[in-house]
Amino acid sequence: MSSTSQKHKDFVAEPMGEKSVMALAGIGEVLGKRLEDKGFDKAYVVLGQFLVLKKDEELFRDWLKDTCGANSKQQGDCYGCLKEWCDAFL
Amino acid sequence: MASTQLTDEELFMELKRFGFTPGPVTENTRPVYLKKLKKLREEQQQRGFRPGKTRTIGAINSTTGVGSTAASRPVSHDVTHLSASRRPGRKSSLLGFSSDESDAESPLKRKGLSHSGRASRSSSSQQQPKIRPATTPSVALKSRYDPSATASSNFSLGQNGDRSVSVGWGLGARSGPDAEQRHFDDSGDENNYEEELEKKSRSLNGRSASRLSTSKLAGDYSDSDEEEVGGPGAGDPERERLEPRRNHPKVALSSKLTDRGSTIGGEHTEVTPPSFLNMGGSRGEDEEEDDPKRRDFGRLGDSLSHRFPRKTVYASVTENHEGKAGKNNPASVEDGTSRSNSTGLRPRFPHYSSLSQAYRCNHSNHNPAANHSCSQAVLKRRVSVPEDELLQQFKREELASSGSFSAHYLSMFLLTAACLFFVLLGLMYLRMRGSGATEVDDVSKYLAHPQKDVILNLLLNLHDHLALVAGNSSLYSVAGQNKEFEDFIHVSLEWIIRTGQDVGIRLMGPVADDPVTDVSEVIWLESTHPKMSFTCRFRRAFFTVINRVLLIVVGCVWSVVCYMKYRWRREEEETRQMYDMVERIIDVLKTHGEACQENQDMRPYLPIPHVRDSLVQPQERKKMKKIWERAESFLSANESRIRTETQRIGGEDFLVWRWIQPSFNCDKASLITSKVWQGKAFPLDRRNSPPNSLTPCLKIRNMFDPVMEVGENWDLAIREAILEKCSDNDGIVHIAVDKNSREGCVYVKCLSAEHSGKAFKALHGSWFDGKLVTVKYLRLDRYHQRFPQAQGCSTPLKASSLVTGVPNTTSRLQQHVSAGSPGFS
Repeated sequence: MSSTSQKHKDFVAEPMGEKSVMALAGIGEVLGKRLEDKGFDKAYVVLGQFLVLKKDEELFRDWLKDTCGANSKQQGDCYGCLKEWCDAFL
Repeated sequence: MASTQLTDEELFMELKRFGFTPGPVTENTRPVYLKKLKKLREEQQQRGFRPGKTRTIGAINSTTGVGSTAASRPVSHDVTHLSASRRPGRKSSLLGFSSDESDAESPLKRKGLSHSGRASRSSSSQQQPKIRPATTPSVALKSRYDPSATASSNFSLGQNGDRSVSVGWGLGARSGPDAEQRHFDDSGDENNYEEELEKKSRSLNGRSASRLSTSKLAGDYSDSDEEEVGGPGAGDPERERLEPRRNHPKVALSSKLTDRGSTIGGEHTEVTPPSFLNMGGSRGEDEEEDDPKRRDFGRLGDSLSHRFPRKTVYASVTENHEGKAGKNNPASVEDGTSRSNSTGLRPRFPHYSSLSQAYRCNHSNHNPAANHSCSQAVLKRRVSVPEDELLQQFKREELASSGSFSAHYLSMFLLTAACLFFVLLGLMYLRMRGSGATEVDDVSKYLAHPQKDVILNLLLNLHDHLALVAGNSSLYSVAGQNKEFEDFIHVSLEWIIRTGQDVGIRLMGPVADDPVTDVSEVIWLESTHPKMSFTCRFRRAFFTVINRVLLIVVGCVWSVVCYMKYRWRREEEETRQMYDMVERIIDVLKTHGEACQENQDMRPYLPIPHVRDSLVQPQERKKMKKIWERAESFLSANESRIRTETQRIGGEDFLVWRWIQPSFNCDKASLITSKVWQGKAFPLDRRNSPPNSLTPCLKIRNMFDPVMEVGENWDLAIREAILEKCSDNDGIVHIAVDKNSREGCVYVKCLSAEHSGKAFKALHGSWFDGKLVTVKYLRLDRYHQRFPQAQGCSTPLKASSLVTGVPNTTSRLQQHVSAGSPGFS
């Protein structure tokens, strides 16, 4: 069972509200900038995409990779973060 | 496929056809779904050959439905019906067949289908005895099943390309046996069979969503049957021949099948009736065994088709009821296996469904016998399950054997070595033995004497006696003293001399080594083949062996020692290199850390790969790989000032090194500021410097503070600093650092006044190590008084290259200085 980062814990602890996309686990400055350039400027927009892809892990990871060039670890972190958030709040 | 031209809806439908329920296709999700579609299509293509057909087949399938075909042949209806119903179950097997060769069900199913299909076709077309069509399809199948790697070739049933494809996929196989069943079943049980099959297939339906596949199967049935019809016409006798053979293999196979279990899936079990291709019956069996190993699609097809005919024959020829019961069981088994495989087979479903659709469209003309075939196919499928187990067992055995192969080699080698050793020992022992008795035979040839027997005996005795004596003491022995034998002795001695052969007795004269020519000279007789006692011989042999062995052992030991020395030297070399690398790494990190201290924007750590690549030249990287790794582990274990951690740089995770030695500020300051030229304090003009250089000697003040200086070679550093500062001036021939002067004086002599003037301009008024340097001219004679050795100096001094023992930090700091001073000034 892999451990979660502090970022993950912080994100999942409360409703995301207007948090920036860089608050997502696995998304740092560089990736966050790329996502923002594509129009995903807030975490909830990425959440929307996640939900549109029906919370499917593979699809979401592919999408993330295509959109901002995240590597496997980052994809996994982001997916896990959003998934857990959905489990908690959705 | 022109996926780029698909609209969102089309993309959505396409994805749905693969059994995958996509989310909304929006602007953002489009590329993802396109990729997914591509992937699904590729998977499908691997399984089938016509993804397009799949779609069409699917359409047909949906439209026709079970039993909806108004085919002329009732069988086709049934077949369709059955295939439709069977499809769910079969689909899994088929899917397994196409993509996962371990799934034995699919190939079996497919084979059965093809067989049944063919059978039905042939029967329908020719209305010959049911057996014949079955045989014919088998023949046709067999001909097709010539080991071809691709399923397509196997299933190239002929004109109907699509159908052949689907047949290849096993649907045909499935339909095959079914059709055959139909044909073979002369009784009126066909309907019953059909019903059973239908029920089964319906139950199977629930298993997978491969309804389409069953319909496809039906289509395959008809197709294969129709195609088979043409073929069989010529092979009636063959068919009949095949028939009995089929039975045999069937029995054999059934046993095999029962053994196997259904681990691989029902495919193989289904395809048990390889008897169908009895000619290739054994081949089929072999194929079955090979299948799990090779996972060759074509082979599976073969095996499937092989098995299917057998199954059908089995069911038809032998106990029909048993067959039915068996069918039921296999069906359930199939179901179980199919279910277990369904998840794995799911991706194959699209392909399967496409195949079934293909079959479907062709099934319009099937006769009711198809139902039988279906049930038979089911039965066959079940039979294949045990086959699968067998196959797996074989596979395991093979693997096990391969694993122990190397061990086998080792044991064989040891055995041969021991045998050789003992053989050697024995040979040596044999050599020790006397071979005295052999020469006696020659004596009879030469001796013309009638008393040759006596002489022979005498010689023998003599020989033995001598040998004995020689063995005991290796000494000479006098000839026998027996008076009555004296003549004989004489004769024999003469003869010995005459023959010149070595009869085991050596004649010696008074002088030991001279060859004797006359009997009278013979004084001593010596046996050349001493017959030693057993113990003596053994002892000799033993010692010889020991000596030899010792020799070898000594040789080995010596070589081992040499090798060890070499290795030891190598180890030392590598350790030295490793330490050197460690030092370099530490230096790099330290400087980087220091640089980061000044420049807060930089990250205070360095990625390990970057450090490696900067320190090791590309051409050496491979060689230094081992050394680098050792250095790395050494650092992590022994270096406390460097910490290894993971950092994210540019989105990628790196293992980095961080220099965590807090810089001793005073030390650092002194390090940074010491021995560094720091720019000019004031511009030199006429007011503060002599207009022209007066003498070639300079006295430089305030270069250092003798009290503050630490270290051994700071004076060398001072020299270096001066030389560097005056690097453009190649006229400096002597530098003397007065270590004890309170003012920090350095005396410099130049080649000429001109050079000293240049040096003056370079040095006067500069900041060095936080001190303001001043220069003044000295009289040459005073200089020579002070430094007599300077009189002889005339070679210009160069910076750093001539100076040895300068600490690295100094040079680096000087580099920093030189880098920094431009900015400073």
